[in-house]
Amino acid sequence: MKILLMGHPNVGKSAVFNRLTGAKVTESNYPGTTVDYTKGYMRLEGKDVEIIDVPGTFSLEPKDKAEEVAVKMLKENRDSVIICVIDSVKLERGLYLALEIIEEGYPVVIALNMWDVAEDKNIRIDVEKLENILGVPIVPTIAVSGEGIKELVSRIKEASPIDIEKIVEKAGGVEQ
Amino acid sequence: MRKKLSEMSYGEEGIVKSIEGNLRNKVAGMGIRVGKKIKMATKQPIKGPVVVTVDQYSISLGLGIADKIIVEAKE
Repeated sequence: MKILLMGHPNVGKSAVFNRLTGAKVTESNYPGTTVDYTKGYMRLEGKDVEIIDVPGTFSLEPKDKAEEVAVKMLKENRDSVIICVIDSVKLERGLYLALEIIEEGYPVVIALNMWDVAEDKNIRIDVEKLENILGVPIVPTIAVSGEGIKELVSRIKEASPIDIEKIVEKAGGVEQ
Repeated sequence: MRKKLSEMSYGEEGIVKSIEGNLRNKVAGMGIRVGKKIKMATKQPIKGPVVVTVDQYSISLGLGIADKIIVEAKE
């Protein structure tokens, strides 16, 4: 099993990554491109698990080299659990990517990062309701201070593939 | 009044009415979709990009993209 950290650019993926791995990090170039990604290991239930900090991407339809790498890495690691990092202020577009990944059949955990910034902006997110609709674990985090990271780790094991049709149903159908 | 996003003036607000064909998926990842409230924040000179505010964050769009998004502007 591998863990992939995915999300938009600048949502704090690397901050989460550093929290999860500590200092045991190697950085490498993805073959054939100049796009960097970082690889490390974290302890999960007594085992060392590989975790990859994937380049930021807006969607799974790549528009540039970095996004191509991100999508390729996702497809090459079919057996991984995805931690989808979302900027809580930019929830909607973050969910767009998260749903794309869920639709591909990957087990997903969502980290609602920068929770404090959203609070400052008076943005309130009903995490419980969102969890009920999506059926995936959702954890508010503040990666820079480390808040929520322990809970995030403890809930990785709850991630399982979710049928997208079920989400559509629970969300009350698709608006045409 | 309906106009292109690129035609909105500084500070003007509107609601996205339509997005040209295959651009729809491209901007969806940036949080822009039909029905979304949008506000013009900045227009860069010499055919430069526009910066719009959606929800509470800013997105910068090339003029070519802003030309293909139709907005119902608030009077």
